[in-house]
Amino acid sequence: MIASASQKSPIVARGLVRHFGDVKAVDGVDLEVHAGEIFGFLGPNGAGKSTTVRMLTTLLKPTAGTATVAGFDVVKQADSVRRSIGVALQDAAIDPLMTGNELLELQSVLYGIPAGSVRQRADELLERVGLTAAADRRVGTYSGGMRRRLDLALSLIHQPTVLFLDEPTTGLDPMSRITLWEEVRRLNSEGTTVLLTTQYLEEADQLADRVAIIDHGVIVQQGTPTELKAAVGAPTLLITVSASQAEQATSTLSRFGELRPTAEGSLGVGLVGGARQVTDVVRALDEAGVSVHHLELNEPSLDDVFAEATGHRLEGAGASSSNDDDVSPAAEDGSEPTRGRRGRRRSR
Amino acid sequence: MTTIVNSAGPSRPVSGGSFDHTSAPGGTVLRSSAGLAIRGLRSIRRLPSAFIPALMMPIVQAIAFSGTFFAITKIPGFPTDRSINWYLPLACCMGAGFSGIGIGFSTIRDLETGFFDRLRMAPTPTASLILGPLFGAWIRMMIVVTSVLAVGFAIGARLTGGVLGIVNLYIAGFGVATVASGWALGLAYRLKDMRAAALMQLTFFNAIFLTNAQAPLFVMSGWLHTIARVNPFTNILRLARTGFLGTVTWDDTWGGLVAIAGMGAAAMYFAWRGLRELGN
Amino acid sequence: MTATITTGAAARSPHAADGSRVFLRQTWAMSKRSILAIARQPALVAPSLIFPLFFAALGASSFSKATNLPGFPKVDSFLSFALAGSIVQGVLFGSVTGGAALAIDIEDGFFDRLLASPTSRVGILLGRLAGAAAFGAFQALFFTLVLIPFGVRIASGPVGLAVIVASGGITGIAIGGFTAALALKTGSSEAVQGSFPLLFVAMFFSSAFFPRQTMQGVYRRIADLNPISYLVEGIRGLIVDGFDTVYVAQAIVVPIAIGVASIALALRMLSSRLAAR
Repeated sequence: MIASASQKSPIVARGLVRHFGDVKAVDGVDLEVHAGEIFGFLGPNGAGKSTTVRMLTTLLKPTAGTATVAGFDVVKQADSVRRSIGVALQDAAIDPLMTGNELLELQSVLYGIPAGSVRQRADELLERVGLTAAADRRVGTYSGGMRRRLDLALSLIHQPTVLFLDEPTTGLDPMSRITLWEEVRRLNSEGTTVLLTTQYLEEADQLADRVAIIDHGVIVQQGTPTELKAAVGAPTLLITVSASQAEQATSTLSRFGELRPTAEGSLGVGLVGGARQVTDVVRALDEAGVSVHHLELNEPSLDDVFAEATGHRLEGAGASSSNDDDVSPAAEDGSEPTRGRRGRRRSR
Repeated sequence: MTTIVNSAGPSRPVSGGSFDHTSAPGGTVLRSSAGLAIRGLRSIRRLPSAFIPALMMPIVQAIAFSGTFFAITKIPGFPTDRSINWYLPLACCMGAGFSGIGIGFSTIRDLETGFFDRLRMAPTPTASLILGPLFGAWIRMMIVVTSVLAVGFAIGARLTGGVLGIVNLYIAGFGVATVASGWALGLAYRLKDMRAAALMQLTFFNAIFLTNAQAPLFVMSGWLHTIARVNPFTNILRLARTGFLGTVTWDDTWGGLVAIAGMGAAAMYFAWRGLRELGN
Repeated sequence: MTATITTGAAARSPHAADGSRVFLRQTWAMSKRSILAIARQPALVAPSLIFPLFFAALGASSFSKATNLPGFPKVDSFLSFALAGSIVQGVLFGSVTGGAALAIDIEDGFFDRLLASPTSRVGILLGRLAGAAAFGAFQALFFTLVLIPFGVRIASGPVGLAVIVASGGITGIAIGGFTAALALKTGSSEAVQGSFPLLFVAMFFSSAFFPRQTMQGVYRRIADLNPISYLVEGIRGLIVDGFDTVYVAQAIVVPIAIGVASIALALRMLSSRLAAR
């Protein structure tokens, strides 16, 4: 019975909660990852992504709630869960004193790979991630991208059905990132279910079949990227004006649609009438005496989804600490209670 | 949990995939422990700066103590006329203890870098995460004790208790290494950072010196005599010294064996509990 | 020596008297900083106060019967005998901490900031060593006062105690000079900390823990050559025997001689560090 349920959804979490003292790192997460999909878990630093993954991978016990992975309970059947999953953790925690080969051998031993097939398996994996030439070098000499690829190889030693990747490309250069994405796609096409956490919108957009957005320990949106973007609807018109004219510009823009949260220094509006309305906006701004320094029209992105759901932007979130409270006109106009504001209230 | 269900099979058709999904059988205690012990030994060669002090310290201690306190053998009733015979087993036990503390240090490093998470996620029995490092500590202990013994004999130590005396010394070495390993691992799992390193060194150092380390019980006076009499490490040192102070007797042996069994089991339990609670 | 060491603002001052006043002020500021650093980080210096007492207590219980051995000086108790060794041991511990603090200044760039200011270069070093002197003197007094309730008597009286405290201070400078030289040479606090076992071994091969007269062979010859033996015996004489100019000379002259050598070495390391910039 368990097996048949897990064939549909190898990762299921119900009301997962984790407190650290008074801090609610994860505050009631419900998740269902379908077999054979890449599931993106998107959120800023400290949103609760890693804590959720640590609970799903048996490293951390939940304060409340339940979760099954590959059909096994993560608390009561931790050992069976471990046999079925592969995990590449954030920061690619690898002993720098060991060589790639030695690490693969140790991993084989720990996972009970028969001694006779260790060598073959290690060689295959090294080739797969392009590290054959570096296999006998100490990991301390590897580049960031090489470490991540070795980390991935280590997590695949027992050919797991479910793969967890915790921020697999954080800190990587664009080339290494694309190489890793290709490998994840390939694994997925071979039938591996992947749960991937990321703080990069592009990564979730590129890789994930479905996405869950987490903020302050709560999932605030869930669906396929296409569905989520369609729900946002109108494209976003972004303009930059001088600070003294911001108020004037805001009131002009609000005539064309709902104001949207933006990065500090610019203003955004969801253009209900689409691209055709841009000229009207420009004319209206001109009539209001507002001079526009910069203007761009963006199709809905996951960032818009994120912004609508949480009331703040994910991209450039680190750049301004005031993002959260100030640059959120949509949340202040009071015309329509958004899902995001509910989410924020719940989480605070 | 003996049935392993190869559950979450691919739901979409797989074409040309080279992956045959399986559930890992999981490592056995012995094989996993051996794998981890080998890893520990490699670090001796690759990070000698961490091991060489642990090797040199007991050697220097053996020389320094027996040279400085050369005259104590002249105290009436002292059990040997060679100060090195008195201090060599002490130095061996110190070295054995620091072999155990050394694996505590490397466990702290693994916890800090996150490598330990990888070990914890492996489908291998919890015991192997403790036994692996313990085996590593035993091998380190063998290297250290053998080196200290060699230097000790070179500067004039004389074996009076025969092969049995040497066996007893190594048993004491295993015992001290086990106790120190369990204590060090337990502290590492609980504190997870370098505070544990300071604490494990300090406590072990105190435990081994609050004994008959420097002088026999009958020579001592006051508070130290009271503590040393009840400190189980006194029994272990007595066991370690049997080969160097006359002949080996059962009276001098059994107390040490009991102390090793008791403290070793307690220390291992302390480590095991700490490891179990890492996920909470 | 490739670089010359100028005294910064002092060297540029038109009036020598003003110059030396500036120099003294800067040195005092540096001293104050290193003394405050000690007072504000008790956890860092606690081992240098606790360990020597622990060893003294261990020795007193373990070796109380050893005081009757041939070659052992006539003492009331082993504790009286051990005090001198504890003082030197504590100062040694403390000097390593001081040297490591200098190395940390170098590691985190604070040292460069000092060098970039018109502060006297020698003042930077002397300020450090003044801190070591103050702490060394404090340790000598601290160990003595702690052990007095346990029956230790200073046979040479208050004047002798003053000499002992002064000796602690000068020894602080002497050993501090070596650790400062090491810090300047390596720029690594780890390397300075790593020198501790070496200094500890140097202490063991002396009469710090047991009288030289009871040792034998090569070990005895090394202890005979080790200046630490004479320093400790000077202080010990003042504690167990009474006031004697020979003891005073040993307690004061030996660390001064070591200090001259170590400060010269530290200045040399300072100038090569400056030349390498």
